Amino acid sequence: MSTAERSTTRPGATPNRRSRQNFETWSWFFMRISGLILFFLALIHFSLTHIFNDVTTTTVSFVAKRWANPFWRVFDWLLLSLGLLHGTNGLRFIMDDYVRNPRKRAALKAFMYALAAALFVLGTITIVTFKGSLAG
Amino acid sequence: MSPESTLYKGKTGQWAFVLHRVTGFLVLMFILLHIIDVSMLNFPRIYNEIHALYGNVLMRLFEVGLLFGLVYHALNGLRVIMIDFFPGSIKNEKSVFYGIFSLTVLLTIIGGFIILRPFFTGSVH
Repeated sequence: MSTAERSTTRPGATPNRRSRQNFETWSWFFMRISGLILFFLALIHFSLTHIFNDVTTTTVSFVAKRWANPFWRVFDWLLLSLGLLHGTNGLRFIMDDYVRNPRKRAALKAFMYALAAALFVLGTITIVTFKGSLAG
Repeated sequence: MSPESTLYKGKTGQWAFVLHRVTGFLVLMFILLHIIDVSMLNFPRIYNEIHALYGNVLMRLFEVGLLFGLVYHALNGLRVIMIDFFPGSIKNEKSVFYGIFSLTVLLTIIGGFIILRPFFTGSVH
């Protein structure tokens, strides 16, 4: 960063701004990489549950058979975590653009992050604790 | 108006961007709902009852909408990656957008036919 550039910002504001720019660069990169992975995960998942099987056949025993193979548990957990991260980060962009009141925006973001975190925990517990033997 | 939404000055890129946001938002809302219904797996009776609802014709129409949103967001996301990682690789932006949109509609019609077929054959109400 040149001294001319630095002089235009308040003293002490630079490190903060720089770390924010770093974060946004990582966020941009994450959206592309996770998007590319989700391209396959999400479309395969949808095809299996709505196209190659009818949705009414996706019962508990259907899931039990699928999750008997750890591969599909890992697959679904990746879809859960990447989907939530990618989606919540996307929603962050949307809130930055359309919720102009800073306090409302902060409150809305806090609510969204808490909701996403809670659902991440719920989904992870579901994938880890589900026992196929429960399926009658 | 945000800087992003004025950047494209009303060309196809702006419509691609608006549709990307709307579909992304709707798919996320579905994911939130879907995590909750799947969490009922440890209560098999409730899970099966909820999933029987997904076979209802209204829910099937909703699933066709989800397919449209998912396919569009996925294909347009690839376009965004191409533009960002390989600048200049997309020569004709307009026709790439129309191509993506047409492919989305085509896949939605094919997938929609499969999803709605049980309704036409009378096996669901």
